[in-house]
Amino acid sequence: MIVDAIIANIEWLALIVIGGVLISWSVHFVPVGGAPAAMAQATGIGTGTVQLAAGAGLTGLISAGYMMNVIDNLPLILASGAIGAMIMISVTMIVGTLVYVYGVGCVPASAKVKFDPLTGDRQDLYVSQGTEGHGLPTVCFVSGVIGGGLGGIGGSLIYYALMKVGIAATSAMTSDVVGLVAIFAVGIFFVNAVIPSYNIGGTIEGFHDPKWKKWPKAVVSSFVATIFCALVAVVAISQLGGL
Amino acid sequence: MSAGGAGEEATSSYSPQTMMGIGIIGGLVGIYLGALLSPTHPVLSFLGGIGAICAIVWGADAVRRVASYGLGTGVPSIGMIALGMGIVASLFGLSIGGSFAGPIVAFISAAIIGAIIGLLANKVIGMGIPIMEQAMVEIAGAGSLVIIGLCTVITGTFEYSAVIENVVAPGYIAMIFIFGGMGILHPFNANLGPDEKQDRTLSVAIEKGALALVVAGIASAINEGLEAAFVTALIGVIIWYLAFKKYFEFVKRDAHKVVGTGMLPTEEELQ
Repeated sequence: MIVDAIIANIEWLALIVIGGVLISWSVHFVPVGGAPAAMAQATGIGTGTVQLAAGAGLTGLISAGYMMNVIDNLPLILASGAIGAMIMISVTMIVGTLVYVYGVGCVPASAKVKFDPLTGDRQDLYVSQGTEGHGLPTVCFVSGVIGGGLGGIGGSLIYYALMKVGIAATSAMTSDVVGLVAIFAVGIFFVNAVIPSYNIGGTIEGFHDPKWKKWPKAVVSSFVATIFCALVAVVAISQLGGL
Repeated sequence: MSAGGAGEEATSSYSPQTMMGIGIIGGLVGIYLGALLSPTHPVLSFLGGIGAICAIVWGADAVRRVASYGLGTGVPSIGMIALGMGIVASLFGLSIGGSFAGPIVAFISAAIIGAIIGLLANKVIGMGIPIMEQAMVEIAGAGSLVIIGLCTVITGTFEYSAVIENVVAPGYIAMIFIFGGMGILHPFNANLGPDEKQDRTLSVAIEKGALALVVAGIASAINEGLEAAFVTALIGVIIWYLAFKKYFEFVKRDAHKVVGTGMLPTEEELQ
């Protein structure tokens, strides 16, 4: 029974694993500053990886779920999820920048690079002594938007695939299926948001940060972890058919 | 963001084995008693919540031990991964475990997923925390027991169909997710530092578990009637009060001095 459920849903399993890997990769793009950034002593948004990834990713899940309500078209659903997550992370970063510039009174500056790779602006002159940079320079913002988009695509892939498993099992989109699929997607999302946050050690500026090159480790770990989570989730959702 | 202690083993007055015993035995006994006795009277489903509190205390102790090494990121991350693994494993366990073995299957599958993630964290990512594997197993296991315990409070049973209909479909599962995670991550997050003491941290865990019981009790009103909901919430409030009182005693014991600051000075007094 369990083996049948897994074999019947093998393609959806693959999509879930791809989604998990995308989420894990996306976290490396988000400029997470953690507690030091909350005190404007490090570049990035002043909260932890998990909160940021969850905020953006769950918004992506909601917008993907909304799109899935009206249409069954994978590219549209993925686009909706990606845009939702990108809007969420952009708003977070704009408000963060406003607070850093007009509230704290510091210029956005990166301590990891001498020149902003995108605008070419000088960075090191503007970094206050004793800090690891502050605020969100352009490159961090762009990196964050990319991260939000990837995370949104990953989250919506997982949601879409689990939803397909649920609809195949019960042949209807009932609130049972939606609730179960949503909570499984959230659970798998959190697992894949925490693994890379351990990889980057809590803070990262974006794709220009030297730590970004460590992403294969987190992606491999998430790949293995998501396979197990996906197997378990697919079996549990297929059991809905027997209720 | 560095959180936790200076990267060393936490000192404990209750051993990890004791805490594991409280969590596993207390958790499973609470869940089974709650599910078996609630058909006789719906009020008795609160026993599942007592099981959840035992599991929360165990999970908080495991977080305390692993986060003392310094995770490199905030303590909340480990609570969220605990409930992420826990929710996946517990719904799986309930779905294939049938009407009796559900919690045990859930617990074992949570332990397996936790072991895999712990191994990956140490071997692939290279976190280098000696107790990472064991702690992840404990945290995932505690997470799954918390979820099933609180589900038992709301539905009075842990059968898959009932849990889906009464906990998952109305969305109470999201509330359980956050409250369970809070119970496991918050105690150490609130108490960490060089003067962190195990009993003080765990008193916060009981307090958080009691709050989860209050909310689960209110949520159970739909299924089990107002009387059961009221009794469960009342039990939660009593446990919360006792645990919070104990916590405040520990705070006063550990603090150098506790003084009142009085009211904020008025504008005239400042001049």
